[in-house]
Amino acid sequence: MSTDVRDRNGSAWLIPNDGTRTNHRLRRDMRRFDDTDEIDLVIVGCGAGGSVLLQRLARAGWRVAALDAGPFWDPDTDWFSDEAASHHLYWTEPRVITGTDPVPLGSNNSGRGVGGSMVHYAGYTPRFHPSDFATFSQDGVGADWPLSYGDLRPYYTAIEEELPVAGEHWPWGDPHGYPHRPHPVGGNGEVFLRGARKLGITAKVGPVAIPNGRFGNRPHCIYRGFCLQGCKVNAKASPLISHIPDALAHGGEVRADAMVTRVAVDERTGRATGVHYVRGGRERFQRARMVAVAGYSIETPRLLLNSSSSRFPDGLCNDFDQVGRYLMVQGAPQTAGRFDDEVRMYKAPPPEVSSEHFYETDRAQPYRRGFSIQNVSPLPITWAEHVAAQGHWGRALRDYMTDYVHWCCLGALCEFLPQAGNRITLDEETDRHGLPVARFSYSQCDNDTQLLHAAQRVMEDILHAAGADEVITIQRFAHLVGGARMAADERHGVVDGTCRSFAVPNLYITDGSVLPTQGSANPALTIMAVAARAAGLLQAGARGGPS
Amino acid sequence: MSQLPHWDAATAAVVESRLGPPPAPRFFSPAEEATASALLDLILGQDEEPRVPVTAMIDVRLAEGETDGWRYADMPEDGQAWRDTLACLDADAQAKYGSGFAGCPAADQRGLIQSVQDLGSGDWHGLPAARVWSLWTRYACTAFYAHPWAWNEMGFPGPAYPRGYKNKGVGRREPFEAADRHPAEDPVREGE
Repeated sequence: MSTDVRDRNGSAWLIPNDGTRTNHRLRRDMRRFDDTDEIDLVIVGCGAGGSVLLQRLARAGWRVAALDAGPFWDPDTDWFSDEAASHHLYWTEPRVITGTDPVPLGSNNSGRGVGGSMVHYAGYTPRFHPSDFATFSQDGVGADWPLSYGDLRPYYTAIEEELPVAGEHWPWGDPHGYPHRPHPVGGNGEVFLRGARKLGITAKVGPVAIPNGRFGNRPHCIYRGFCLQGCKVNAKASPLISHIPDALAHGGEVRADAMVTRVAVDERTGRATGVHYVRGGRERFQRARMVAVAGYSIETPRLLLNSSSSRFPDGLCNDFDQVGRYLMVQGAPQTAGRFDDEVRMYKAPPPEVSSEHFYETDRAQPYRRGFSIQNVSPLPITWAEHVAAQGHWGRALRDYMTDYVHWCCLGALCEFLPQAGNRITLDEETDRHGLPVARFSYSQCDNDTQLLHAAQRVMEDILHAAGADEVITIQRFAHLVGGARMAADERHGVVDGTCRSFAVPNLYITDGSVLPTQGSANPALTIMAVAARAAGLLQAGARGGPS
Repeated sequence: MSQLPHWDAATAAVVESRLGPPPAPRFFSPAEEATASALLDLILGQDEEPRVPVTAMIDVRLAEGETDGWRYADMPEDGQAWRDTLACLDADAQAKYGSGFAGCPAADQRGLIQSVQDLGSGDWHGLPAARVWSLWTRYACTAFYAHPWAWNEMGFPGPAYPRGYKNKGVGRREPFEAADRHPAEDPVREGE
């Protein structure tokens, strides 16, 4: 990017520098639209995708509001340096999971409130590799995107500067550097680097969306290890601090505690006219010339399916039975090793070191695509889950747990393939608004299972090479993408490469649900980059922005 | 808890509240409370006072409907699942020992729940045993390891805001961190 980041996004300079974490005046003076105003764009969801879109278009002078079902957080008062007290950061409305490999939701992968899941993500922000955009033509699995890595590259660079991202020079995929130098590593990262070096596996520090040094008025990380509980420091980036302040300063509105229940479409014109939502128990309707849905991979399909009408009897944009399908999670086995030395993995941010050495297809293996390996550092409750998964209970569980300071932990992200049957449908159960809840079915294919085994083996090897005398693994899943994917045509997806829905010309989807494949990268950066690109095209008028 | 003055006010308040007397049960009936307490004491190896009030902590969650945000399609929602599985434990105890679960000697209780764990993915009273086991251990560990007594036992210093850590790295400690007195003594290493 040619211009200074502050000229493009002043969020970090709009945060107070007096030791508090929230610019209350900015929120109090925020522009507020009336429901009856026909605004240029209403966005559903204030996470990675929705917040970037809001910030970009507010800056471009659009009249734009983003509605979020959860609260407008203040890290000082609303977040706690504590695992159990952070339950309110997760989307815990009822959902039903099924399939041969059901995927737990909530704390694992579902955010709530302004900032979305990035409030409680670890902070890893790797790019996808160029190969991720054409896995079907290159490897015969997955799907090809209607856009290429090159189309996203400038947006990756821009977002990396805005978060900003710290890390070593990145040798994988499209090699690139980062705006901030890598953080010093703790015991957990040290062990990973040591084991990898012994085996000749390249591992690098980063990439994490935590500035190394001050950034605007955001302070330096204090390495307290509670990244997953919401960063009270304002060091780890989430849209709450990386994009929302700038959006407000440019006339964008954030309407928190507003649960969107239905996207309205004019039966005659076939165009979206706004969104129905509930706030404080009252049913309301925000008019808009354009609607963007950014509720993530479960709630976006659910909202579309709940927005059926006579024109769309099977759900909005669902003429070809594509809504809710090809939802993906990454297989995320977590392997820990025990050392006589004290590792104290809770000190330092959980995101430290990663390796994309096994990311690409290796023709010598029976499986296609690959996995990445990263440090993870479970705190007591999640560590107990890891230990209990070995079958221990009673005294054995307690004894294991007393040894906490001696363990180092790695996690893999395995690229599970998109499959039509892995999908969201509506359940018979309803929520407190009377709306059917999401039912999420997930089943692994053989390739998925082979990747899990391979990744676990590599993690065990690294830990043994570093000197571990015992290794234990828990099978987990991580992240969500897909469910309303982009494709070349309406028979294969829900939106085109610009995030515009095939069925409704003024309806966009700008969140992780549009991703056709997931690589073995954490998705936050790519979701932001896709939303930034969609915003750029809208601004340029390619799709008829405001006159 | 000697570190409490170093924590931010919001966090100190939630952690301190766990040390006070727990509220009276609202979710469990007295019979369910007795069965749940016996079960949770076994899962967490709490066999003497003072105990972390795990049953009360779970009762609060269930009364508030504070679930994890999902349920398996073949399991009832968490509150009902707790009621149903506690009743099943009592039924097993009655059938085998002619007494409710809470009234059985600890060794018999241990045998009863071990048999549930041993079923693995098999069926237990119409429910998948592994998912019942997961429900019990998940709620038990989430409550127990939220308590400062449990942190002390594992050498975890607790909330670290606004202080943070200065001495990261293998073998490095903060002034307030105590060294493991028997670092080479792995409590789980067999035969040592």
